[in-house]
Amino acid sequence: MVKPGSLQRARLDNGLEILVLEDHRLPLVSLGLSFRRGEAMLAPEDAGLASFTAELLERGAGGRDANEFAEYVDEIGASFGGAAGWDSLSVGVSGLSRDLDRLFEVLADGTLRPHFEAEEAERARAERLAALERAKDDPATLASWYTARALYAGHRYGTPLSGDAESVARLDAARARALHQRVFVPNDAIFYASGDVTAKDIIARVRAHFAKWPRGEPSPTGPPPPLRTPEQRRILIVDRPDLGQARIAVAHEGLSRTDEDRLAASLMNLVVGGSGFSSRLMTSLRSEQGLTYGVYSGYRLRRQPGPFVVSTFTRVPEVRRTLDLLLGELERGLEEPPGEDELVWARSLATGRFSMGLETSSAVMNGLVDLEIYDLPRDSLDTYRSRVRALTEADSARAARLYLHPERVAIVLVGPAEALLPQVEDLGPVEVVVP
Amino acid sequence: MLCAQPAAALDDPAARTRVTLLENGLVVLTLVDRATPVVSFQMWVKVGSRDETRYTGLAHLFEHMMFKGSKNVPPEEHARLVNARGGRTNAWTSNDFTVYFEDVTAESLPLVIDLEYERVANLEVSAETLESEREVVLEERRMRTEDRPQGRAYEALFATTWQALSYRSPVIGWRSDVERATVEACQEFFDTYYSPNNIILSIVGDFDTDATLAHIRRTFGTLSPAASIPRSPTVEPPQKGERRTRIEFDLRAPILTMAWHAPSTGHEDAEPLDVLGQILSGGRSSRLYRSLVYDAELALGASGGYWEFQGAGLFVAGATVRPGKSIREVERLLIAELAALGEQPVSPEELEKAKRQLEVALVGSLATNHALGARIARDFASFGEVRPLEERLQRIRAVSAEDVQRVAREYLRPEGQTVVEVVAPPADLQAGS
Repeated sequence: MVKPGSLQRARLDNGLEILVLEDHRLPLVSLGLSFRRGEAMLAPEDAGLASFTAELLERGAGGRDANEFAEYVDEIGASFGGAAGWDSLSVGVSGLSRDLDRLFEVLADGTLRPHFEAEEAERARAERLAALERAKDDPATLASWYTARALYAGHRYGTPLSGDAESVARLDAARARALHQRVFVPNDAIFYASGDVTAKDIIARVRAHFAKWPRGEPSPTGPPPPLRTPEQRRILIVDRPDLGQARIAVAHEGLSRTDEDRLAASLMNLVVGGSGFSSRLMTSLRSEQGLTYGVYSGYRLRRQPGPFVVSTFTRVPEVRRTLDLLLGELERGLEEPPGEDELVWARSLATGRFSMGLETSSAVMNGLVDLEIYDLPRDSLDTYRSRVRALTEADSARAARLYLHPERVAIVLVGPAEALLPQVEDLGPVEVVVP
Repeated sequence: MLCAQPAAALDDPAARTRVTLLENGLVVLTLVDRATPVVSFQMWVKVGSRDETRYTGLAHLFEHMMFKGSKNVPPEEHARLVNARGGRTNAWTSNDFTVYFEDVTAESLPLVIDLEYERVANLEVSAETLESEREVVLEERRMRTEDRPQGRAYEALFATTWQALSYRSPVIGWRSDVERATVEACQEFFDTYYSPNNIILSIVGDFDTDATLAHIRRTFGTLSPAASIPRSPTVEPPQKGERRTRIEFDLRAPILTMAWHAPSTGHEDAEPLDVLGQILSGGRSSRLYRSLVYDAELALGASGGYWEFQGAGLFVAGATVRPGKSIREVERLLIAELAALGEQPVSPEELEKAKRQLEVALVGSLATNHALGARIARDFASFGEVRPLEERLQRIRAVSAEDVQRVAREYLRPEGQTVVEVVAPPADLQAGS
């Protein structure tokens, strides 16, 4: 792990936070800005606007049109990109440290001076519509889309992160420009740099490029999702008659990224289904029964509570047996919550994975920026291991009681409805949809 | 203006690799790096789907069986023990190699060595575990290939491009073979290929070299070598004319893939071919993005690149067609871009850009111990040495516009091309396709 002492912090007068992590092992640098608002701030009918805005940053900025900008980035072997998550919007660039001048220039242009040119927006929109249509060819994507819809219809979480055909069709340059003005304010942003850099130099460069950027009013974060969803068990079949393997998702509401129970819930989840080969679900469905290649469960931690989702896949005739075993393991999570014997390995696994996930300076920086995005304590990476080690059997049992609800889940199946319907119609109300 | 100055000379960590050859033929590559408390242990077995003679998919099915128990370790316990120490373990199989790895914190390295030795020395393949794991592999096959248009495309591309070499069969195997492979076939495969003289261990990270080597001698050092490792004698005859395969599948975005025969790994044309791939698909300023995605707005993505194997090579190009757009038109534009590379030398700026992109990618690939471990093992397995990064960079820098034009002409010939398209069945065909 990168030594904590190599992290430097600063703040410009306009409120821009600066994080710099020096790591001179390789002549590489990665820099960017993250803003504390993402897709979750939008209404469902605007879904995809943040993601669209982020993409347009690389379609013309500063003195260069889209093609010139791409050429300018590619010439030095750099990578530049904007992206939106549920809770943040980010723009980043990486390349060789000796190209720092140009890396800063493209980052500043992309962030502060994007063109949002109408013709480019039209191209991006057409590409996104085609990509959404293409995504329907992927059963896993369909399962994820319809799981979101089953839990959160009417809320932003109910529409895919990058929008749906209806919302994307409404995207244009003017709306992207307006969102950029609202979200891209320095007092709601974090600048980060990691790699072969020196803090002093980086801070001076940030000042030169970003000090004149005026403050703005941070936007609201968006309304909360339902706290209890679904109210009762419901089943959604997404009809794909051609598939030999059905995708299965079982879901209900979870908890937020900042919930005090998040570590206890995550540790409990490692035992139930979040740890790959060691988990109860994998042992049952894969190792013992040979029903699937993989099964995973997890809490999607967002600013507002995101879903808890178990996902797997199996040959169509075995869907019911798989579902019964899967629901049985969730019930067992409540009745026989993880015991100390299981928590011993789960704690090691959690802390070991955490340490190994911080092998590179850019990974450490991602973790640090994430803490800033969610206003979590700045020493969270340092205290993670001790917080995990302090979790007890009682914490795990309480987390299971509060955050596992096998009795009221949304079940989403992607596959041939004709063969799936008879297997599940006694489990609850079934809706069949054509993607 | 971009200067052609190369990246500053790098301290290539792999240059410090120590190579130890045990008497039984086992190669041990050790590379100490104390920057992080992480160790990557990798066991590279020089066997892959290309070595299968009876049941295709056996190398991969066997890789799964390596997690299903041995004399002293019950089924799945290997993974559980590594996970319980906070480590990560998995394995993968390719056409040429089967690789098992554990990424752990330093204090768990002795356990990992014992566990890997245990399954190589004492594996037990039982009929019961084979039956259950066979089903797991069939689910993997459905997920990766049968229900996935991209998987169908590549399976067909290999099967059509190669007619003689065993590279033609999918790594995961044909369904019928996976359904029928026997315990005896697994055991015979194990006895034939899992010998110390067919294995390379690669260990990178924070550990004591002498203690680790002593531990490996006490364990792996006791294994008996095989008298010889059989390899297929087959040589692919030259392709005399275009080959086409069409696959019908319920999809919205048709897929086009094309391949041409190219040299196997280590050939002097590797770098010109890599540069060629970069010119075609390195970033938003690349030729295929510009032509197919940006200007014509016919594709969602398009790429071209050199794929190297131990006994063969391919240059592969392809595109995902936007729903409702013409796959014929996409193919026409793609071929026009490839032909242009043979007709005209690339400009000095375009050449420098491609080389720079390759250099940055190479430097970036040194960031983790796992990536370093894979690089030195692959190098040793392919060339019998760890090739200095600088040597590879020099070869990239030496590529000229003439080289790029020459390899485009030499390898991307119309009579040597194979085309695979995955499209919706006729009733659902979109207008224009």
